[in-house]
Amino acid sequence: MLEQLLIFTRGGLILWSCKELGNALKGSPIDTLIRSCLLEERSGAASYNYDAPGASYSLKWIFHNDLGLVFVAVYQRILHLLYVDDLLAAVKREFSQVYDPTRTVYRDFDEVFKQLKIEAEARAEELKKSYSNPVVVNGNRKNQVTWKGDGSEGKRNGTGGGGGGGLKNDGDGKNGVKSESDRDGDRFVVANGNNNYGSNLKSNGGNGNGNVSVNGKDNDSLNNGAFDVNRLQKKVRNKGGNGKKTDTGVTKAEPKKLVKKNRVWDDKPKETKLDFTDHVDVDRDADVDRKVDYLAKEQGESMMDKDEVFSSDSEDEEEEEGDDAGKNSNKVDAKKKGWFSSMFQSIAGKANLEKSDLEPALKALKDRLMTKNVAEEIAEKLCESVAASLEGKKLASFTRISSTVHTAMEEALVRILTPRRSIDILRDVHAAKEQRKPYVVVFVGVNGVGKSTNLAKVAYWLQQHNVNVMMAACDTFRSGAVEQLRTHARRLQIPIFEKGYEKDPAVVAKEAIQEASRNGSDVVLVDTAGRMQDNEPLMRALSKLIYLNNPDLVLFVGEALVGNDAVDQLSKFNQKLADLATSPTPRLIDGILLTKFDTIDDKVGAALSMVYISGAPVMFVGCGQSYTDLKKLNVKSIVKTLLK
Amino acid sequence: MQELDQWKEHISHLLNVANDYIREIPSDQLYAAAAIAVFTTLILLLLRFFKRAKSNTIVLTGLSGSGKTVIFYQLKDGSTHQGTVTSMEPNEDTFILHSETLKKGKIKPVHIVDVPGHSRLRPKLDEYLPQAAGTVFVVDALDFLPNCRPASEYLYDLLTKGSVVRKKIPLLILCNKTDKVTAHTKEFICRQLEKEIDKLRASRSAVSDADVTNEFTLGVPGEPFSFKQCSNTVTTADASGLTGEISQLEEFIRQHVKP
Repeated sequence: MLEQLLIFTRGGLILWSCKELGNALKGSPIDTLIRSCLLEERSGAASYNYDAPGASYSLKWIFHNDLGLVFVAVYQRILHLLYVDDLLAAVKREFSQVYDPTRTVYRDFDEVFKQLKIEAEARAEELKKSYSNPVVVNGNRKNQVTWKGDGSEGKRNGTGGGGGGGLKNDGDGKNGVKSESDRDGDRFVVANGNNNYGSNLKSNGGNGNGNVSVNGKDNDSLNNGAFDVNRLQKKVRNKGGNGKKTDTGVTKAEPKKLVKKNRVWDDKPKETKLDFTDHVDVDRDADVDRKVDYLAKEQGESMMDKDEVFSSDSEDEEEEEGDDAGKNSNKVDAKKKGWFSSMFQSIAGKANLEKSDLEPALKALKDRLMTKNVAEEIAEKLCESVAASLEGKKLASFTRISSTVHTAMEEALVRILTPRRSIDILRDVHAAKEQRKPYVVVFVGVNGVGKSTNLAKVAYWLQQHNVNVMMAACDTFRSGAVEQLRTHARRLQIPIFEKGYEKDPAVVAKEAIQEASRNGSDVVLVDTAGRMQDNEPLMRALSKLIYLNNPDLVLFVGEALVGNDAVDQLSKFNQKLADLATSPTPRLIDGILLTKFDTIDDKVGAALSMVYISGAPVMFVGCGQSYTDLKKLNVKSIVKTLLK
Repeated sequence: MQELDQWKEHISHLLNVANDYIREIPSDQLYAAAAIAVFTTLILLLLRFFKRAKSNTIVLTGLSGSGKTVIFYQLKDGSTHQGTVTSMEPNEDTFILHSETLKKGKIKPVHIVDVPGHSRLRPKLDEYLPQAAGTVFVVDALDFLPNCRPASEYLYDLLTKGSVVRKKIPLLILCNKTDKVTAHTKEFICRQLEKEIDKLRASRSAVSDADVTNEFTLGVPGEPFSFKQCSNTVTTADASGLTGEISQLEEFIRQHVKP
């Protein structure tokens, strides 16, 4: 069952929550959702899982950006509630009609919600039934078609549903009559027929969006009132009449439909797949151009295509204007609407931003991020999140879409790169000192990224601030590693703890920490062997080292040169540390040390990729060969470079 | 020397020309022009003066979960409505305090901004601080000790912000949730914050040069830090957002935004 449904403003005030459901939630899933998902630019994701002692919830959410509202539904994870998305969309639509910024109490929404919930559940029921009851398959399938659509594709949907409905009126009518005489349980089949009727009517009117509300009314009258045979028959008759109307509208579609129908009847287990082809068929008949569009939207372009289109696009851009995304998006606009109307639009301000408006600007932005070496996956996610935060918003006058997108992205980037936890290591060191135990930092990372070199730099920096440092040479694997560290130690006049090669690094680290607490060192810097993230035995050894010594800081050393691999490295390191840990609360990566920052010019994307994927802040930036070449990350300059 | 003389001649000639020109103009017009010039400058100056005096912004800051949004709505509507969740965007509004709505006469409305406490949203604070007449740092008195360090770090950042130091924006440390029995007293909280900031002072000043966020140092070097050493006034007060006990906060607001 649905546990809770909340409506709140982005400012954080709860406007409405379902009293009826009113189960006390365990923990605070909503706050956690906001803190660890929505504010981390992960709002493009589909759902969020929350674990608390004694409960595990799934949360789904939807934004209304223009009004600044957030709708969140909470339900038990074990129940795969199919209707939540549907319900949220319906609630959003209904609530945005009654919303008034000065009002804070919406008692009357309870009734509306009750109705919406019943409808949504009924629809989910239908979906479930479609697997068991072959007779209903027909009507249901259509129903599904109607309901899948969102606003932007309403029209297409309307024609699809209309075509199907018009054709199958007879069958539906029979269905309805049969169920009426049969059982009460089949009531929804009838409702279903009506649904289609409603959508038919509406789609003919050319308004795909409205069909839901009509549905609601029909459905409701049917659910509430006792079974009125007369009315029902009238409805069926009505439907017949309407069906004829649709027939005339969609006669072209008829021959293909018949084939399609047969297919459905033949293999019903593969129903959904067939459903898909249906879409395409209908589309082909209705509008060839739109089909391509739709396909691209529904499934995403194939990678090959995307790249080609993309590169050619950007080439054009460079040749003609050599300017940024703004011109590109404007160009597309101009092609469609002409110079004057686009000008007028920019002055008057556009009504509401739609996804299709944002797409060109976002694409160009994604391209730009990728040229700055941001991992593709992350650029994609970021753009989705920005799109989610802008969709439905009003465009202010005298602004272009591209500039709006640009500022939204800038805000998002600043938010991501601003550290979530304190990166003041010295403060932590002092705190550990008060407790009379050494502060342990473990450096982990892939081979050759500069762990030892930067360990020495950190040691030098700490030494500058009157902290007693000790190094622990736990790279007992690569020949020369201990000697390398020893050289650094000698140059910096820092004690080093070493046990030679072929020892268990976890044990060496443990002894080093004991030694440190004996001789009064404040910080122990543990050097580990570089390892590829896929190397299971080595990762297990690392996990053991971390578990055994429980360091205060696990610092991931990554090179700024890395591109797409950054995601893989960090996520796998984190994953392996979590999976291979023997304790129930695994230690993950706490911070990132970005090395070789001086070699990358403006391709600073790795910093963003790493921070986004791990959620850990960049604590240091290594930017040269000498001991002094250690910096803090300057968020503003990074953001500026990324969007330059 | 010759050049200089030449220049002098040239200038005197120009002056003569100007003099003649001025004499040609009727004196009424001249006076009118002068009066207009004086008038406009005066008005501009006055406008500027008023603008500075008019600042009526109070900024609510503090860690996430300390109760800023609740206090914001207590000030505005006198009720917490149906509770709050973590804010994603600042709440801001200009209104007459709820407790003053019954008072007769013209009361100056207050512009109150509730900046989210989530660390990722802290850069937003910089937008509002320069125009603030006062800041309120909300502390959770109930759950204080676990949050002591993050809170003092935030407070340190706030106290060393350029706009705060330069304009001497008064700060109120508001201990929220004091309706609960186990809540700490404001004296205790104040002491703990001072202690923590004292330690932070040592570590922050050591941070490498590349970091330029804190351009001012706090307190007197060599002495343990106390809020009295700040260039701006720092006061403390109790409040309880849930029960609506916010009279001390309202006092602070009215002290800095005159009704």
